Amino acid sequence: MADSHYSLIIVGGGLSGLAAGIRFARFGESVLILEKHAIPGGLNSYYYRKNFLLETGLHAMTNYAAPKERQAPLNRLFRQLNLSRKQFNTHEQFSSRILFKDQLSLDFSNDISLLRENISAIFPHSIDSFDALLKFVQEYDPFTPREWISTRQTLNDYLKDPVLINMILLPLMVYGNSEEHDMDLGQFVIMFRSIFMEGFFRPDDTIKEFLDLLIDKFKSLGGEIRYKHGVSSFIQDGDAIKGVMLDNNKELYCDAIISTIGSPGTEKLLVGSPQSKHPVGQMSFVESIYILPHECKKTIVNDQTIIFYSLADDFDYCRPKHPIDSQWGVICFPENFKGLPPADHFQIRTTHAANYDLWKNVSRQEYKQMKGKYAQESRGVIEEIIGNFYQNVVYEDSFTPVTIEKFTGKECGAVYGSPLKVKDGRTAFNNLFVAGTDQGYLGIIGSMLSGVTVVNQHILSAG
Amino acid sequence: MTRDEIKDVVLEIIADIDEDAEMEGLNPDEPLRDQLDLDSMDFLDIVMELRKRYKLQIPEEDYPELATLTSCVNYLEPKLQNL
Ligand SMILES: Cc1cc2nc3c(=O)[nH]c(=O)nc-3n(C[C@H](O)[C@H](O)[C@H](O)COP(=O)(O)OP(=O)(O)OC[C@H]3O[C@@H](n4cnc5c(N)ncnc54)[C@H](O)[C@@H]3O)c2cc1C
Repeated sequence: MADSHYSLIIVGGGLSGLAAGIRFARFGESVLILEKHAIPGGLNSYYYRKNFLLETGLHAMTNYAAPKERQAPLNRLFRQLNLSRKQFNTHEQFSSRILFKDQLSLDFSNDISLLRENISAIFPHSIDSFDALLKFVQEYDPFTPREWISTRQTLNDYLKDPVLINMILLPLMVYGNSEEHDMDLGQFVIMFRSIFMEGFFRPDDTIKEFLDLLIDKFKSLGGEIRYKHGVSSFIQDGDAIKGVMLDNNKELYCDAIISTIGSPGTEKLLVGSPQSKHPVGQMSFVESIYILPHECKKTIVNDQTIIFYSLADDFDYCRPKHPIDSQWGVICFPENFKGLPPADHFQIRTTHAANYDLWKNVSRQEYKQMKGKYAQESRGVIEEIIGNFYQNVVYEDSFTPVTIEKFTGKECGAVYGSPLKVKDGRTAFNNLFVAGTDQGYLGIIGSMLSGVTVVNQHILSAG
Repeated sequence: MTRDEIKDVVLEIIADIDEDAEMEGLNPDEPLRDQLDLDSMDFLDIVMELRKRYKLQIPEEDYPELATLTSCVNYLEPKLQNL
Protein backbone atom coordinates (compact mmCIF):
# COMPACT_ATOMS: atom_id res chain seq x y z
CA MET A 1 0.00 0.00 0.00
CA ALA A 2 3.07 2.23 0.05
CA ASP A 3 2.12 4.15 -3.08
CA SER A 4 -1.45 4.79 -2.03
CA HIS A 5 -0.69 6.41 1.33
CA TYR A 6 0.49 10.02 1.73
CA SER A 7 1.19 12.23 4.72
CA LEU A 8 -0.84 14.95 3.06
CA ILE A 9 -3.31 15.00 0.20
CA ILE A 10 -4.33 18.34 -1.26
CA VAL A 11 -7.53 18.58 -3.25
CA GLY A 12 -7.10 21.12 -6.06
CA GLY A 13 -4.07 22.31 -8.00
CA GLY A 14 -4.99 26.00 -8.05
CA LEU A 15 -2.69 28.62 -6.56
CA SER A 16 -3.54 27.84 -2.94
CA GLY A 17 -3.07 24.09 -3.48
CA LEU A 18 0.29 24.57 -5.18
CA ALA A 19 1.54 26.88 -2.46
CA ALA A 20 0.37 24.51 0.27
CA GLY A 21 2.04 21.65 -1.60
CA ILE A 22 5.40 23.39 -1.86
CA ARG A 23 5.36 24.45 1.76
CA PHE A 24 4.65 20.94 2.96
CA ALA A 25 7.01 19.20 0.50
CA ARG A 26 9.80 21.40 1.85
CA PHE A 27 9.61 20.15 5.42
CA GLY A 28 7.15 17.29 5.54
CA GLU A 29 6.99 13.79 4.16
CA SER A 30 4.99 12.64 1.15
CA VAL A 31 2.46 14.96 -0.44
CA LEU A 32 0.07 14.52 -3.35
CA ILE A 33 -1.98 17.17 -5.15
CA LEU A 34 -5.09 15.89 -6.91
CA GLU A 35 -6.35 18.15 -9.69
CA LYS A 36 -9.50 17.45 -11.64
CA HIS A 37 -8.46 19.49 -14.65
CA ALA A 38 -5.72 18.60 -17.17
CA ILE A 39 -3.57 21.60 -16.18
CA PRO A 40 -2.89 23.48 -12.94
CA GLY A 41 -3.98 26.98 -11.95
CA GLY A 42 -7.71 26.67 -11.31
CA LEU A 43 -9.30 30.11 -11.62
CA ASN A 44 -6.02 31.55 -12.79
CA SER A 45 -4.96 29.26 -15.54
CA TYR A 46 -4.54 29.58 -19.32
CA TYR A 47 -5.68 28.12 -22.61
CA TYR A 48 -4.71 28.34 -26.26
CA ARG A 49 -6.85 29.73 -29.08
CA LYS A 50 -5.53 30.42 -32.56
CA ASN A 51 -1.93 30.39 -31.32
CA PHE A 52 -2.67 32.91 -28.61
CA LEU A 53 -2.04 31.94 -25.06
CA LEU A 54 -4.96 33.40 -23.14
CA GLU A 55 -4.93 33.77 -19.40
CA THR A 56 -8.18 32.94 -17.69
CA GLY A 57 -7.73 35.41 -14.89
CA LEU A 58 -4.60 37.44 -14.61
CA HIS A 59 -5.27 41.17 -14.75
CA ALA A 60 -2.63 41.99 -12.23
CA MET A 61 -1.09 40.52 -9.17
CA THR A 62 -1.70 42.43 -5.96
CA ASN A 63 0.49 43.03 -2.87
CA TYR A 64 3.41 44.60 -4.72
CA ALA A 65 6.58 45.00 -2.65
CA ALA A 66 10.16 45.67 -3.71
CA PRO A 67 12.51 42.77 -2.90
CA LYS A 68 14.16 44.67 -0.05
CA GLU A 69 10.92 45.02 1.94
CA ARG A 70 11.48 41.78 3.75
CA GLN A 71 8.37 41.82 5.91
CA ALA A 72 5.93 42.50 3.07
CA PRO A 73 3.46 39.66 2.41
CA LEU A 74 4.75 39.06 -1.13
CA ASN A 75 8.35 38.62 -0.01
CA ARG A 76 7.47 36.52 3.00
CA LEU A 77 5.49 34.29 0.68
CA PHE A 78 8.49 33.82 -1.57
CA ARG A 79 10.74 32.99 1.38
CA GLN A 80 8.24 30.53 2.78
CA LEU A 81 8.14 28.77 -0.57
CA ASN A 82 11.92 28.90 -0.95
CA LEU A 83 11.54 30.78 -4.23
CA SER A 84 13.97 33.47 -5.27
CA ARG A 85 12.34 36.89 -5.12
CA LYS A 86 15.38 38.43 -6.79
CA GLN A 87 14.98 36.26 -9.86
CA PHE A 88 11.28 37.02 -10.05
CA ASN A 89 11.08 40.11 -12.21
CA THR A 90 8.14 42.31 -11.46
CA HIS A 91 6.60 45.24 -13.32
CA GLU A 92 4.55 47.74 -11.41
CA GLN A 93 1.42 49.35 -12.77
CA PHE A 94 1.57 52.89 -14.10
CA SER A 95 -1.58 54.07 -12.40
CA SER A 96 -5.17 52.97 -12.28
CA ARG A 97 -8.35 54.99 -12.32
CA ILE A 98 -11.64 54.84 -10.50
CA LEU A 99 -14.06 56.56 -12.82
CA PHE A 100 -17.56 57.47 -11.75
CA LYS A 101 -20.29 59.17 -13.72
CA ASP A 102 -19.69 62.66 -15.05
CA GLN A 103 -15.96 62.15 -15.31
CA LEU A 104 -15.42 62.10 -11.59
CA SER A 105 -12.15 60.25 -11.25
CA LEU A 106 -9.59 59.15 -8.68
CA ASP A 107 -6.20 57.89 -9.78
CA PHE A 108 -4.06 55.62 -7.66
CA SER A 109 -0.72 53.90 -8.04
CA ASN A 110 1.49 51.73 -5.86
CA ASP A 111 2.32 54.87 -3.92
CA ILE A 112 -0.64 55.78 -1.71
CA SER A 113 0.22 59.49 -1.98
CA LEU A 114 -1.29 59.65 -5.48
CA LEU A 115 -4.66 58.52 -4.16
CA ARG A 116 -4.36 60.98 -1.27
CA GLU A 117 -3.61 63.87 -3.62
CA ASN A 118 -6.55 62.95 -5.81
CA ILE A 119 -8.92 62.74 -2.88
CA SER A 120 -7.63 65.99 -1.55
CA ALA A 121 -8.30 67.67 -4.92
CA ILE A 122 -11.73 66.19 -5.57
CA PHE A 123 -13.09 65.62 -2.07
CA PRO A 124 -11.25 68.33 -0.12
CA HIS A 125 -13.63 68.01 2.84
CA SER A 126 -12.78 64.36 3.21
CA ILE A 127 -9.00 64.33 3.21
CA ASP A 128 -8.62 64.44 6.97
CA SER A 129 -11.09 61.65 7.42
CA PHE A 130 -9.33 59.67 4.69
CA ASP A 131 -6.08 60.06 6.62
CA ALA A 132 -7.83 58.79 9.71
CA LEU A 133 -9.10 55.80 7.72
CA LEU A 134 -5.57 55.09 6.47
CA LYS A 135 -4.31 55.04 10.01
CA PHE A 136 -7.12 52.73 11.02
CA VAL A 137 -6.35 50.32 8.15
CA GLN A 138 -2.68 50.27 9.07
CA GLU A 139 -3.37 49.42 12.66
CA TYR A 140 -6.26 46.98 12.30
CA ASP A 141 -5.52 43.27 12.68
CA PRO A 142 -7.67 41.55 10.06
CA PHE A 143 -6.42 38.06 10.90
CA THR A 144 -7.93 37.71 14.35
CA PRO A 145 -11.16 35.78 13.98
CA ARG A 146 -14.13 37.94 15.04
CA GLU A 147 -17.76 38.61 14.28
CA TRP A 148 -18.73 40.11 10.94
CA ILE A 149 -18.42 43.91 10.97
CA SER A 150 -20.00 46.10 8.29
CA THR A 151 -17.48 47.91 6.10
CA ARG A 152 -20.11 50.33 4.81
CA GLN A 153 -20.99 51.30 8.37
CA THR A 154 -17.34 51.84 9.21
CA LEU A 155 -16.76 53.90 6.08
CA ASN A 156 -19.84 55.98 6.81
CA ASP A 157 -18.36 56.79 10.18
CA TYR A 158 -15.02 57.78 8.70
CA LEU A 159 -15.63 59.26 5.27
CA LYS A 160 -19.30 60.22 5.24
CA ASP A 161 -19.31 61.22 1.56
CA PRO A 162 -21.32 58.43 -0.14
CA VAL A 163 -19.71 58.92 -3.56
CA LEU A 164 -16.21 58.72 -2.16
CA ILE A 165 -17.19 55.60 -0.22
CA ASN A 166 -18.48 53.93 -3.37
CA MET A 167 -15.41 54.93 -5.33
CA ILE A 168 -13.10 53.38 -2.77
CA LEU A 169 -15.19 50.24 -2.50
CA LEU A 170 -15.44 49.49 -6.21
CA PRO A 171 -11.91 48.12 -6.84
CA LEU A 172 -11.79 46.35 -3.49
CA MET A 173 -15.13 44.64 -3.96
CA VAL A 174 -14.74 43.61 -7.57
CA TYR A 175 -11.28 42.13 -6.87
CA GLY A 176 -12.19 40.21 -3.78
CA ASN A 177 -15.60 40.34 -2.18
CA SER A 178 -17.80 37.27 -1.99
CA GLU A 179 -20.71 39.05 -0.32
CA GLU A 180 -23.30 41.23 -1.99
CA HIS A 181 -23.79 44.92 -1.05
CA ASP A 182 -21.43 45.07 1.90
CA MET A 183 -18.12 43.55 2.93
CA ASP A 184 -16.65 42.18 6.11
CA LEU A 185 -14.32 44.74 7.65
CA GLY A 186 -11.39 42.31 7.92
CA GLN A 187 -11.72 41.51 4.23
CA PHE A 188 -11.85 45.23 3.45
CA VAL A 189 -8.64 45.87 5.34
CA ILE A 190 -6.85 43.00 3.57
CA MET A 191 -8.01 44.23 0.17
CA PHE A 192 -7.28 47.90 0.94
CA ARG A 193 -3.71 47.08 1.85
CA SER A 194 -3.11 44.72 -1.03
CA ILE A 195 -4.51 47.09 -3.66
CA PHE A 196 -4.13 50.69 -2.45
CA MET A 197 -1.11 50.41 -0.17
CA GLU A 198 0.92 47.65 -1.82
CA GLY A 199 -0.52 47.67 -5.31
CA PHE A 200 -0.59 46.05 -8.72
CA PHE A 201 2.19 44.40 -10.68
CA ARG A 202 2.78 41.71 -13.24
CA PRO A 203 5.62 39.26 -13.67
CA ASP A 204 7.71 39.23 -16.89
CA ASP A 205 5.69 36.44 -18.41
CA THR A 206 2.24 34.97 -18.25
CA ILE A 207 0.50 32.95 -15.58
CA LYS A 208 1.77 29.84 -17.39
CA GLU A 209 5.41 30.54 -16.55
CA PHE A 210 4.42 31.38 -12.99
CA LEU A 211 2.57 28.09 -12.64
CA ASP A 212 5.54 26.25 -14.22
CA LEU A 213 7.80 27.82 -11.60
CA LEU A 214 5.54 26.55 -8.81
CA ILE A 215 5.16 23.08 -10.30
CA ASP A 216 8.93 22.75 -10.80
CA LYS A 217 9.57 23.79 -7.22
CA PHE A 218 6.95 21.39 -5.91
CA LYS A 219 8.36 18.47 -7.86
CA SER A 220 11.97 19.29 -7.03
CA LEU A 221 11.03 19.00 -3.36
CA GLY A 222 9.57 15.56 -3.97
CA GLY A 223 5.90 16.51 -4.33
CA GLU A 224 3.60 14.60 -6.64
CA ILE A 225 0.73 16.03 -8.66
CA ARG A 226 -1.86 14.09 -10.65
CA TYR A 227 -3.99 15.83 -13.25
CA LYS A 228 -7.39 14.59 -14.40
CA HIS A 229 -7.76 13.08 -10.97
CA GLY A 230 -10.91 14.49 -9.46
CA VAL A 231 -11.89 13.57 -5.92
CA SER A 232 -15.42 12.23 -5.72
CA SER A 233 -15.72 11.67 -1.97
CA PHE A 234 -13.85 11.51 1.30
CA ILE A 235 -13.36 8.23 3.15
CA GLN A 236 -14.51 9.01 6.66
CA ASP A 237 -13.55 7.33 9.88
CA GLY A 238 -15.31 8.86 12.86
CA ASP A 239 -14.23 12.46 13.12
CA ALA A 240 -11.24 12.00 10.83
CA ILE A 241 -10.80 11.57 7.09
CA LYS A 242 -8.81 8.46 6.17
CA GLY A 243 -8.48 9.19 2.50
CA VAL A 244 -10.22 10.01 -0.74
CA MET A 245 -12.18 8.21 -3.40
CA LEU A 246 -11.32 9.36 -6.90
CA ASP A 247 -13.61 9.80 -9.88
CA ASN A 248 -12.06 6.62 -11.30
CA ASN A 249 -13.11 4.76 -8.12
CA LYS A 250 -9.56 4.33 -6.84
CA GLU A 251 -8.91 4.97 -3.16
CA LEU A 252 -5.96 6.85 -1.70
CA TYR A 253 -5.14 7.21 2.00
CA CYS A 254 -3.55 10.01 3.98
CA ASP A 255 -2.83 11.38 7.45
CA ALA A 256 -4.17 14.85 6.73
CA ILE A 257 -6.06 16.56 3.96
CA ILE A 258 -6.36 20.12 2.69
CA SER A 259 -9.25 21.04 0.45
CA THR A 260 -8.95 24.11 -1.76
CA ILE A 261 -12.22 23.64 -3.61
CA GLY A 262 -14.32 25.83 -1.35
CA SER A 263 -16.55 24.99 1.59
CA PRO A 264 -19.71 24.08 -0.37
CA GLY A 265 -17.64 21.85 -2.68
CA THR A 266 -15.84 20.27 0.27
CA GLU A 267 -19.10 19.54 2.08
CA LYS A 268 -20.36 17.75 -1.02
CA LEU A 269 -17.47 15.28 -0.80
CA LEU A 270 -18.58 14.21 2.66
CA VAL A 271 -20.71 11.09 2.51
CA GLY A 272 -24.19 11.59 3.91
CA SER A 273 -23.32 15.13 4.86
CA PRO A 274 -26.14 17.21 6.29
CA GLN A 275 -27.43 20.26 4.45
CA SER A 276 -24.60 22.54 3.45
CA LYS A 277 -23.72 25.07 6.13
CA HIS A 278 -21.90 27.34 3.72
CA PRO A 279 -24.05 29.29 1.30
CA VAL A 280 -22.87 29.43 -2.28
CA GLY A 281 -21.64 32.89 -3.31
CA GLN A 282 -23.84 34.99 -5.55
CA MET A 283 -21.13 37.03 -7.23
CA SER A 284 -19.89 35.88 -10.58
CA PHE A 285 -18.59 37.63 -13.64
CA VAL A 286 -18.43 37.73 -17.39
CA GLU A 287 -14.94 38.34 -18.69
CA SER A 288 -14.12 39.39 -22.24
CA ILE A 289 -10.70 39.37 -23.85
CA TYR A 290 -9.93 41.42 -26.96
CA ILE A 291 -6.69 41.07 -28.85
CA LEU A 292 -5.51 43.92 -31.03
CA PRO A 293 -2.36 44.59 -33.02
CA HIS A 294 0.36 46.15 -30.91
CA GLU A 295 0.13 49.51 -32.74
CA CYS A 296 -3.34 50.11 -31.35
CA LYS A 297 -1.90 50.57 -27.88
CA LYS A 298 -1.00 54.21 -28.54
CA THR A 299 -4.47 55.17 -29.63
CA ILE A 300 -6.24 53.66 -26.66
CA VAL A 301 -4.49 54.22 -23.39
CA ASN A 302 -2.11 56.78 -22.10
CA ASP A 303 -1.01 55.50 -18.80
CA GLN A 304 -3.83 53.73 -17.06
CA THR A 305 -3.25 50.12 -16.23
CA ILE A 306 -6.74 49.35 -14.97
CA ILE A 307 -9.95 51.39 -15.04
CA PHE A 308 -12.73 50.68 -12.55
CA TYR A 309 -15.85 52.45 -13.72
CA SER A 310 -19.40 53.03 -12.66
CA LEU A 311 -21.90 54.92 -14.77
CA ALA A 312 -23.91 55.80 -11.69
CA ASP A 313 -22.60 57.09 -8.40
CA ASP A 314 -24.62 54.74 -6.25
CA PHE A 315 -22.69 51.64 -7.16
CA ASP A 316 -24.24 48.48 -5.68
CA TYR A 317 -22.16 45.32 -5.67
CA CYS A 318 -24.64 42.47 -6.22
CA ARG A 319 -25.81 39.77 -8.58
CA PRO A 320 -27.56 41.68 -11.38
CA LYS A 321 -31.16 41.06 -12.44
CA HIS A 322 -29.97 40.82 -16.06
CA PRO A 323 -27.38 38.43 -17.51
CA ILE A 324 -24.72 41.12 -17.06
CA ASP A 325 -24.53 44.52 -15.42
CA SER A 326 -22.70 46.83 -17.79
CA GLN A 327 -23.34 49.82 -15.53
CA TRP A 328 -20.10 49.14 -13.71
CA GLY A 329 -17.07 47.02 -14.36
CA VAL A 330 -13.35 46.74 -14.93
CA ILE A 331 -11.26 47.51 -18.01
CA CYS A 332 -7.74 46.16 -17.81
CA PHE A 333 -4.74 46.54 -20.11
CA PRO A 334 -2.45 43.66 -19.12
CA GLU A 335 0.39 44.85 -21.36
CA ASN A 336 0.40 48.26 -19.74
CA PHE A 337 2.82 47.77 -16.86
CA LYS A 338 6.14 49.57 -16.41
CA GLY A 339 8.96 48.04 -18.40
CA LEU A 340 7.12 44.95 -19.58
CA PRO A 341 8.91 43.45 -22.56
CA PRO A 342 6.92 44.47 -25.66
CA ALA A 343 4.40 41.89 -26.82
CA ASP A 344 3.37 41.48 -30.44
CA HIS A 345 -0.23 42.20 -29.58
CA PHE A 346 -2.22 44.34 -27.23
CA GLN A 347 -4.98 43.07 -24.97
CA ILE A 348 -8.03 44.62 -23.44
CA ARG A 349 -9.89 42.67 -20.77
CA THR A 350 -13.26 43.65 -19.39
CA THR A 351 -15.17 42.32 -16.40
CA HIS A 352 -18.84 42.73 -15.47
CA ALA A 353 -20.93 41.22 -12.72
CA ALA A 354 -23.15 38.49 -14.14
CA ASN A 355 -26.16 36.42 -13.11
CA TYR A 356 -25.32 32.71 -13.02
CA ASP A 357 -28.93 31.45 -13.22
CA LEU A 358 -29.70 33.43 -16.34
CA TRP A 359 -26.67 31.96 -18.12
CA LYS A 360 -27.24 28.46 -16.80
CA ASN A 361 -30.90 27.86 -17.55
CA VAL A 362 -30.84 28.34 -21.32
CA SER A 363 -30.30 26.11 -24.35
CA ARG A 364 -26.92 25.99 -26.10
CA GLN A 365 -28.29 28.06 -28.89
CA GLU A 366 -29.69 30.76 -26.61
CA TYR A 367 -26.46 30.79 -24.64
CA LYS A 368 -24.49 31.55 -27.78
CA GLN A 369 -26.88 34.32 -28.77
CA MET A 370 -26.69 35.79 -25.29
CA LYS A 371 -22.91 35.81 -25.43
CA GLY A 372 -23.04 37.83 -28.64
CA LYS A 373 -25.73 40.17 -27.41
CA TYR A 374 -24.14 41.01 -24.09
CA ALA A 375 -20.65 41.30 -25.50
CA GLN A 376 -22.08 43.99 -27.75
CA GLU A 377 -23.83 45.74 -24.87
CA SER A 378 -20.60 45.69 -22.89
CA ARG A 379 -18.57 47.05 -25.79
CA GLY A 380 -20.98 49.93 -26.23
CA VAL A 381 -20.23 51.07 -22.69
CA ILE A 382 -16.50 50.34 -22.79
CA GLU A 383 -15.97 52.25 -26.04
CA GLU A 384 -17.67 55.28 -24.48
CA ILE A 385 -14.91 55.23 -21.91
CA ILE A 386 -11.75 54.28 -23.80
CA GLY A 387 -12.73 55.14 -27.38
CA ASN A 388 -13.48 52.87 -30.30
CA PHE A 389 -11.31 49.82 -30.60
CA TYR A 390 -13.52 47.04 -31.85
CA GLN A 391 -12.78 47.63 -35.54
CA ASN A 392 -9.17 46.58 -34.86
CA VAL A 393 -9.83 43.43 -32.87
CA VAL A 394 -8.07 40.38 -34.36
CA TYR A 395 -9.36 37.88 -31.84
CA GLU A 396 -11.89 37.93 -29.05
CA ASP A 397 -13.21 35.51 -26.52
CA SER A 398 -15.38 35.70 -23.48
CA PHE A 399 -16.40 33.50 -20.63
CA THR A 400 -19.39 33.44 -18.34
CA PRO A 401 -20.28 32.15 -14.86
CA VAL A 402 -21.12 28.82 -16.52
CA THR A 403 -17.62 28.56 -18.03
CA ILE A 404 -16.07 29.35 -14.65
CA GLU A 405 -18.13 26.67 -12.95
CA LYS A 406 -17.34 24.12 -15.63
CA PHE A 407 -13.58 24.57 -15.55
CA THR A 408 -12.93 25.23 -11.89
CA GLY A 409 -15.78 23.48 -10.12
CA LYS A 410 -16.66 26.75 -8.34
CA GLU A 411 -20.37 26.34 -7.77
CA CYS A 412 -22.45 28.96 -9.57
CA GLY A 413 -19.20 30.36 -10.92
CA ALA A 414 -18.74 32.11 -7.57
CA VAL A 415 -15.20 33.34 -8.16
CA TYR A 416 -14.76 34.54 -4.59
CA GLY A 417 -16.43 31.57 -3.01
CA SER A 418 -18.89 31.42 -0.15
CA PRO A 419 -19.72 34.58 1.83
CA LEU A 420 -19.16 32.58 4.98
CA LYS A 421 -15.38 32.23 5.40
CA VAL A 422 -13.55 29.75 7.60
CA LYS A 423 -10.77 32.00 8.90
CA ASP A 424 -8.93 29.33 10.87
CA GLY A 425 -9.24 26.73 8.10
CA ARG A 426 -10.78 24.16 10.45
CA THR A 427 -13.67 21.84 9.65
CA ALA A 428 -15.78 19.38 11.65
CA PHE A 429 -13.08 16.75 10.94
CA ASN A 430 -9.87 16.91 12.92
CA ASN A 431 -7.50 16.31 9.98
CA LEU A 432 -9.43 18.10 7.22
CA PHE A 433 -8.68 21.76 6.57
CA VAL A 434 -9.78 24.27 3.97
CA ALA A 435 -7.40 26.66 2.26
CA GLY A 436 -7.70 29.21 -0.52
CA THR A 437 -10.78 31.11 -1.51
CA ASP A 438 -13.04 29.96 1.31
CA GLN A 439 -10.50 30.56 4.02
CA GLY A 440 -10.94 34.21 3.15
CA TYR A 441 -7.77 35.12 1.31
CA LEU A 442 -8.45 36.05 -2.28
CA GLY A 443 -6.55 36.67 -5.46
CA ILE A 444 -3.38 35.02 -6.63
CA ILE A 445 -1.08 36.16 -3.84
CA GLY A 446 -3.81 35.93 -1.19
CA SER A 447 -4.77 32.36 -2.02
CA MET A 448 -1.11 31.34 -1.97
CA LEU A 449 -0.64 32.93 1.44
CA SER A 450 -3.65 30.96 2.58
CA GLY A 451 -2.14 27.65 1.43
CA VAL A 452 1.08 28.40 3.29
CA THR A 453 -0.69 29.55 6.45
CA VAL A 454 -2.89 26.48 6.71
CA VAL A 455 0.09 24.15 6.29
CA ASN A 456 2.09 26.06 8.91
CA GLN A 457 -0.71 26.26 11.46
CA HIS A 458 -2.28 22.86 11.14
CA ILE A 459 0.00 20.40 9.42
CA LEU A 460 3.65 21.19 10.06
CA SER A 461 3.12 22.30 13.64
CA ALA A 462 1.49 18.98 14.51
CA GLY A 463 4.45 16.87 13.36
CA MET B 1 30.02 16.08 12.99
CA THR B 2 32.76 18.45 14.00
CA ARG B 3 32.06 21.95 15.23
CA ASP B 4 33.19 23.36 11.90
CA GLU B 5 30.90 21.05 9.98
CA ILE B 6 27.98 22.02 12.15
CA LYS B 7 28.74 25.68 11.63
CA ASP B 8 28.78 25.16 7.87
CA VAL B 9 25.47 23.34 7.98
CA VAL B 10 23.85 26.18 9.91
CA LEU B 11 25.21 28.78 7.50
CA GLU B 12 24.08 26.73 4.54
CA ILE B 13 20.58 26.43 5.95
CA ILE B 14 20.41 30.17 6.56
CA ALA B 15 21.63 30.93 3.05
CA ASP B 16 18.91 28.72 1.64
CA ILE B 17 16.24 30.45 3.73
CA ASP B 18 17.38 33.97 3.02
CA GLU B 19 18.94 34.74 -0.34
CA ASP B 20 20.03 38.15 0.95
CA ALA B 21 21.91 36.89 3.98
CA GLU B 22 25.41 38.38 4.13
CA MET B 23 27.46 35.72 5.83
CA GLU B 24 30.71 37.56 5.57
CA GLY B 25 31.66 39.46 8.66
CA LEU B 26 29.10 37.61 10.74
CA ASN B 27 30.00 37.85 14.40
CA PRO B 28 29.52 34.31 15.79
CA ASP B 29 28.70 35.63 19.25
CA GLU B 30 26.11 38.24 18.30
CA PRO B 31 22.46 37.24 17.81
CA LEU B 32 21.83 36.02 14.25
CA ARG B 33 18.50 37.80 14.15
CA ASP B 34 20.08 41.20 14.68
CA GLN B 35 22.73 40.68 12.06
CA LEU B 36 20.74 38.98 9.35
CA ASP B 37 17.28 40.44 9.58
CA LEU B 38 15.77 37.03 10.22
CA ASP B 39 12.25 37.13 11.58
CA SER B 40 10.51 34.54 13.72
CA MET B 41 9.06 32.92 10.62
CA ASP B 42 12.52 32.41 9.11
CA PHE B 43 13.72 31.16 12.44
CA LEU B 44 11.09 28.44 12.52
CA ASP B 45 12.26 27.37 9.08
CA ILE B 46 15.76 26.79 10.46
CA VAL B 47 14.26 24.57 13.14
CA MET B 48 12.18 22.68 10.59
CA GLU B 49 15.11 22.21 8.25
CA LEU B 50 17.14 20.71 11.10
CA ARG B 51 14.23 18.45 11.91
CA LYS B 52 13.97 17.33 8.33
CA ARG B 53 17.69 16.73 7.80
CA TYR B 54 18.63 15.11 11.10
CA LYS B 55 15.28 14.08 12.62
CA LEU B 56 16.05 16.50 15.42
CA GLN B 57 13.15 17.59 17.60
CA ILE B 58 13.97 20.98 19.02
CA PRO B 59 11.40 21.92 21.67
CA GLU B 60 10.25 25.51 21.78
CA GLU B 61 11.89 26.17 25.14
CA ASP B 62 15.26 25.45 23.51
CA TYR B 63 14.90 28.08 20.78
CA PRO B 64 16.96 30.64 22.72
CA GLU B 65 19.89 28.23 22.43
CA LEU B 66 19.91 28.94 18.72
CA ALA B 67 20.35 32.68 19.09
CA THR B 68 23.96 33.04 17.95
CA LEU B 69 26.11 30.97 15.64
CA THR B 70 28.29 29.86 18.55
CA SER B 71 25.32 28.92 20.71
CA CYS B 72 23.84 26.96 17.79
CA VAL B 73 27.02 24.94 17.48
CA ASN B 74 27.18 24.38 21.25
CA TYR B 75 23.60 23.20 21.30
CA LEU B 76 23.81 20.98 18.24
CA GLU B 77 27.23 19.44 18.88
CA PRO B 78 26.11 16.71 21.30
CA LYS B 79 22.98 16.03 19.26
CA LEU B 80 24.88 15.55 16.02
CA GLN B 81 28.03 13.95 17.37
CA ASN B 82 27.26 10.52 15.96
CA LEU B 83 26.59 11.69 12.43
C1 LIG C 1 -11.92 36.15 -14.48
C2 LIG C 1 -11.05 36.19 -13.27
C3 LIG C 1 -10.08 37.17 -13.15
C4 LIG C 1 -9.25 37.19 -12.01
N1 LIG C 1 -8.27 38.11 -11.98
C5 LIG C 1 -7.40 38.12 -10.96
C6 LIG C 1 -6.31 39.02 -10.97
O1 LIG C 1 -6.11 39.79 -11.91
N2 LIG C 1 -5.45 39.01 -9.90
C7 LIG C 1 -5.64 38.18 -8.85
O2 LIG C 1 -4.83 38.21 -7.93
N3 LIG C 1 -6.66 37.30 -8.81
C8 LIG C 1 -7.54 37.26 -9.85
N4 LIG C 1 -8.59 36.37 -9.83
C9 LIG C 1 -8.84 35.59 -8.59
C10 LIG C 1 -7.87 34.43 -8.44
O3 LIG C 1 -7.79 33.75 -9.66
C11 LIG C 1 -8.36 33.47 -7.37
O4 LIG C 1 -8.63 34.18 -6.18
C12 LIG C 1 -7.34 32.38 -7.03
O5 LIG C 1 -6.79 31.85 -8.20
C13 LIG C 1 -8.01 31.31 -6.20
O6 LIG C 1 -7.18 30.18 -6.02
P1 LIG C 1 -7.66 28.93 -5.18
O7 LIG C 1 -6.53 27.98 -5.18
O8 LIG C 1 -8.21 29.36 -3.88
O9 LIG C 1 -8.92 28.30 -5.94
P2 LIG C 1 -9.07 27.65 -7.39
O10 LIG C 1 -8.25 28.36 -8.37
O11 LIG C 1 -10.52 27.57 -7.62
O12 LIG C 1 -8.47 26.18 -7.22
C14 LIG C 1 -9.24 25.05 -6.94
C15 LIG C 1 -8.79 23.90 -7.83
O13 LIG C 1 -9.46 22.71 -7.42
C16 LIG C 1 -9.81 21.95 -8.56
N5 LIG C 1 -10.92 21.08 -8.18
C17 LIG C 1 -12.22 21.41 -7.93
N6 LIG C 1 -12.92 20.36 -7.53
C18 LIG C 1 -12.07 19.30 -7.50
C19 LIG C 1 -12.21 17.92 -7.14
N7 LIG C 1 -13.38 17.42 -6.72
N8 LIG C 1 -11.12 17.12 -7.22
C20 LIG C 1 -9.92 17.63 -7.62
N9 LIG C 1 -9.74 18.92 -7.97
C21 LIG C 1 -10.80 19.75 -7.91
C22 LIG C 1 -10.17 22.99 -9.59
O14 LIG C 1 -10.07 22.45 -10.91
C23 LIG C 1 -9.11 24.07 -9.31
O15 LIG C 1 -7.94 23.87 -10.06
C24 LIG C 1 -9.42 36.27 -10.97
C25 LIG C 1 -10.40 35.28 -11.10
C26 LIG C 1 -11.18 35.23 -12.24
C27 LIG C 1 -12.18 34.11 -12.39
